[in-house]
Amino acid sequence: MGYPHPSHPRETVVLSRHFGDAPARTYAGWIERGGYVALRKALGMTPDAIIEELKASGLRGRGGAGFPTGLKWSFMPKNDGKPHYLVCNADESEPGTFKDREIMRWTPHALIEGCAIGAYAIGAETCYIYIRGEFTEPLRIMTAAVEEAYAAGALGANAFGSGKRIDIILHRGAGAYICGEETALMNSLEGKRGNPRIKPPFPAQAGLFGMPTTINNVETLAAVPHILNQGCEWYKGLCLSNPKSTGTKLFSVCGQIQKPGNYEVTMGFPMKDLIHDLAGGMRPGRTLKAVIPGGSSVPIMTRDEAEGALCDYEGIIEKGSMLGSAGFIVLDDSADVVYEVYRLAKFYAHESCAQCTQCREGTAWTTKILERILRGEGQTEDLGLLLDLSENMTGKTICVLSDSCAAPIVSGIAKFRGEFDAYLSGARQPTLVGA
Amino acid sequence: MSAAGHAGAHAASGVHEPVFVAAVLAKLEALFPKYPTKQACLLPALWMVQEARGWISPQAMAEVGEVLGLTPAYVRGVVSFYTMYYQHPMGRHVVQVCTTSPCHLCGSSDVLKALLEATQCGELGATSPDGRFTVIEVECLGACGFATPVMIGNDFHDSVAPDRVPELLRGYA
Amino acid sequence: MSAELVSLTIDGLSVSVPKGTSLIEAAKQAGVLVPHYCYHPSLPSPAVCRMCLVEVEKAPKLMPACVTTVAEGQVVHTGSDQARKARESVLEFLLINHPLDCPICDQAGECELQDYVFQEGRAATRYSDYAKRYNPVEDFGPDILYVANRCILCTRCVRFMDDVAETPVLNVSERGDRAFIGIDPSQTLDHPWAGNVVDLCPVGSLVSKDFLHKARAWDLDKTASICPGCTQGCNIMIDTRDDVVVRLRPRPNLDVNRHFICDTGRADYRWMNRGDRIEAPLVRDGDRLVATDWPTALERLAAILRQASGQVVILASGRASTESLGLVHQMAQRAGQVTAAIRVPTGPVAPLAGIPGLSLRSERVPNLDGARLADCAADWHAALSAVPGADLVVVLDAELDPNEAALLSQASRVLVLGTVDEEWIASVAALVLPVTTMAEENGTWVNCNQRVQRYTQARSSAGMARPAWWVASEALALLEPSGTWPDTSADAFVALGAWIPALAGLTYAELGLTGRELAAAGTGARE
Repeated sequence: MGYPHPSHPRETVVLSRHFGDAPARTYAGWIERGGYVALRKALGMTPDAIIEELKASGLRGRGGAGFPTGLKWSFMPKNDGKPHYLVCNADESEPGTFKDREIMRWTPHALIEGCAIGAYAIGAETCYIYIRGEFTEPLRIMTAAVEEAYAAGALGANAFGSGKRIDIILHRGAGAYICGEETALMNSLEGKRGNPRIKPPFPAQAGLFGMPTTINNVETLAAVPHILNQGCEWYKGLCLSNPKSTGTKLFSVCGQIQKPGNYEVTMGFPMKDLIHDLAGGMRPGRTLKAVIPGGSSVPIMTRDEAEGALCDYEGIIEKGSMLGSAGFIVLDDSADVVYEVYRLAKFYAHESCAQCTQCREGTAWTTKILERILRGEGQTEDLGLLLDLSENMTGKTICVLSDSCAAPIVSGIAKFRGEFDAYLSGARQPTLVGA
Repeated sequence: MSAAGHAGAHAASGVHEPVFVAAVLAKLEALFPKYPTKQACLLPALWMVQEARGWISPQAMAEVGEVLGLTPAYVRGVVSFYTMYYQHPMGRHVVQVCTTSPCHLCGSSDVLKALLEATQCGELGATSPDGRFTVIEVECLGACGFATPVMIGNDFHDSVAPDRVPELLRGYA
Repeated sequence: MSAELVSLTIDGLSVSVPKGTSLIEAAKQAGVLVPHYCYHPSLPSPAVCRMCLVEVEKAPKLMPACVTTVAEGQVVHTGSDQARKARESVLEFLLINHPLDCPICDQAGECELQDYVFQEGRAATRYSDYAKRYNPVEDFGPDILYVANRCILCTRCVRFMDDVAETPVLNVSERGDRAFIGIDPSQTLDHPWAGNVVDLCPVGSLVSKDFLHKARAWDLDKTASICPGCTQGCNIMIDTRDDVVVRLRPRPNLDVNRHFICDTGRADYRWMNRGDRIEAPLVRDGDRLVATDWPTALERLAAILRQASGQVVILASGRASTESLGLVHQMAQRAGQVTAAIRVPTGPVAPLAGIPGLSLRSERVPNLDGARLADCAADWHAALSAVPGADLVVVLDAELDPNEAALLSQASRVLVLGTVDEEWIASVAALVLPVTTMAEENGTWVNCNQRVQRYTQARSSAGMARPAWWVASEALALLEPSGTWPDTSADAFVALGAWIPALAGLTYAELGLTGRELAAAGTGARE
């Protein structure tokens, strides 16, 4: 449901059913709401059976990449004698995305249960939940919930009497967007700078502390208990469009919209309805201009593209962008696309880890060019330069941070060129002053 | 780098009260069994320093290094990577305002302006004359649906509008 | 080689390399240099500079050649339009904040940024009217300055200190375009091998104070040599400007010193430029030594050797070449029973942690094992005690303290083959013959692992100085005209084989410039 808004009849509330329902945060409250049934069930299954169930469900990673979860789990080596790790990526920091925060704030045990099932399935005794440093409230709630889960015997040396050890350890980040990238997160957890690593080796071969590791997003893991409880067929059936995209998904809708919030709908839900119906549409007197749908790291969609898109992995690609983490940044006709693109470039320049040349220098340079355009001092060749730099920043680096910086720039210029030209020609007054 | 070298450096740059003694040390040591390396406790240890001192001084970095078996240079490289670790003293309450695109679209610039005025900080990164506040811009606080989110110390405040600012600050002495 | 070989095509050339080889090393085998900054064969590869991106057919995007390993049948293009554009863009990104202060930068002329930009960079900048990043120059250590503005953050220096020196005193500080190489203020870059970061730095960001503004790279002559500092025998390059030695740098030898030398060795070159040299043969005329020509001096030498018959003591320098030790020993045998020793100063050991077997050794001479082979490694004090009453003492460039020098007056005859004009020479020497230093001659030394290595002449000899082996060879020719005596250093080395079984059959050509490890004495060179 779209907390803080009441549930909309067109939502399919699975993960968000208990958002806003404070007693659900406690262990007892969670048990009352059907919690920990899935974990008990899982501990009675073989890990392979759990993985098969997940594969059949069609669940894909909710952190942005959309990789099939069951398949990812199946990459973990078997009987290799090494410690395995499950890492839960709770470093939610993609601009426009705020779904994991709500899962942790309202349904901490859903995540703990998902983590415990995941750990068991991949042969890990330890699961680290890496929570971004700014999430003080989710951390507090998760800490209390983990303590309760230990006290109740759901976690620990003998989880629910299964003889299996499952530990969950909360680890607090300290302010670095890039730590949401899985290999950067592993470095950060190891007490290093959050620099993304070169792949291969992939985490399933050599991940956290050099050991086989699976990293999943909060929302992905929170969905797992539901799949075990209700079966893969049920989950697979939650789809309005492409069979490759199944289940429900939390869509964070924010920006210039009447009712910002999280909306849980089945994959393939029309974006037009999500924006104009569930999220209340535009503010009075405003019309939709654009949507950046994947969090900020994807191409901007025009109104027509957005209103024609189906909300799933394939549907948004079809309309020229990507689902990403499904944080929809909505821009109405009062928004200045040039400024917003500049603000995003500034974000990426601030967050670049400094390893790769193109990213370190390119994010800062493109920010300077956009800043100059906004000051009314842009040169006619600046747009061509921005596009060329963007090309040089795409597909060349260890991670995709610089690609993410380039995506809104390239799409912004392609789709809203008139707004850039207005600054260049002087038709529009400078937005930024001074140097 | 010898331990004696560290001690010398401390003496030269003023007194450093060790952070990792008694309860804080015990808290850190309780973390060691949770990770296969001591190095993995670096971020938690730095949080403990910042909670105790409000910032992380070079001497504190050296101390963390000693406790965890890392060099001061290594610790400094890590500290400077993460924006939430402060390498300089800050006001008693650090006010972080999100100004990234989604919040900017919802008017975070005005919230920022109101905070700079109400705290008397005047400009970003400056500490107010009474030492109460330091206001800094922060990239996406992950609460875009609750624009504008503001963090004061460890407290998260959703949906802050400029007119709520004075009341919000009243709770912080 | 038993390793499994993988065949691939690089720029149209077929190569076969061991499985696990990186594309960048495989390309070297094909004679193709893939431009790179962060990659270094003696350091772990972070693949961060992104300069070595190459096109690999069937790969979805350009691949970093430094961390991509070869695969059977792979087809690699390093010069495709895509790869070129990627490199051009990396160069452009690296230059936007670079000060372009090449005219005052020590690295100019041997700068990889300069070279690659010249090779394939853009002709003009597109970073117009923006301020460049500025950070002040920092004093990192006894011999090292960090010029942050020139830094391209390749992190070679950080990785050297972390992974090779295993003394992490450097870091990458901050992030994004604010990043720089940092050092903790309480620390200094004074590790005994720290100077290598200057060589590793591909640009002029880490510079040596000792070499600061001394010479332009293109004015330097570079000569392959061996470090004279200890028995490790690190391979070095002697850089001279106008016949003056201005810098020693490591020369790669994966079997000895990889790409490194210690700071003690690096700094130990000033003696090569000493001006107080013996420049002409000096013969005794009453209480004076008078200069003469070589024929006269050599006749006098032959006469001394003919007169002497009894105990002969050779006091030699540990820097003397194996050729000189061998031939001088042969010459001395013509005058009697020989006791020969070299002086072996010692000092603290300083290993390089990350490279097993590489260390500044305690014995601070380069040819202790050569001396042993040439039978010149008697105990120094025993040799000294044989000086009083000796019939002939040959001082081969040995440094003697005043007490040791005082002993010489108790010998019947003293022959000096010397470089520097020491005070004691005038009073005791019957004959003084000027010889060359290691910087002025060709020769070989044998390191502590029984590796024979050549060093070559880096500067012209002082005055009339000649290699000591040549002097001995000429003397032997006068004494035994029927024999064949060497007249080149290469021949002298071959001649050693007759007296030193371990060297039998070896030639300079076989040693090459990276040397060869000897098998156990008497069994000849190891295959």
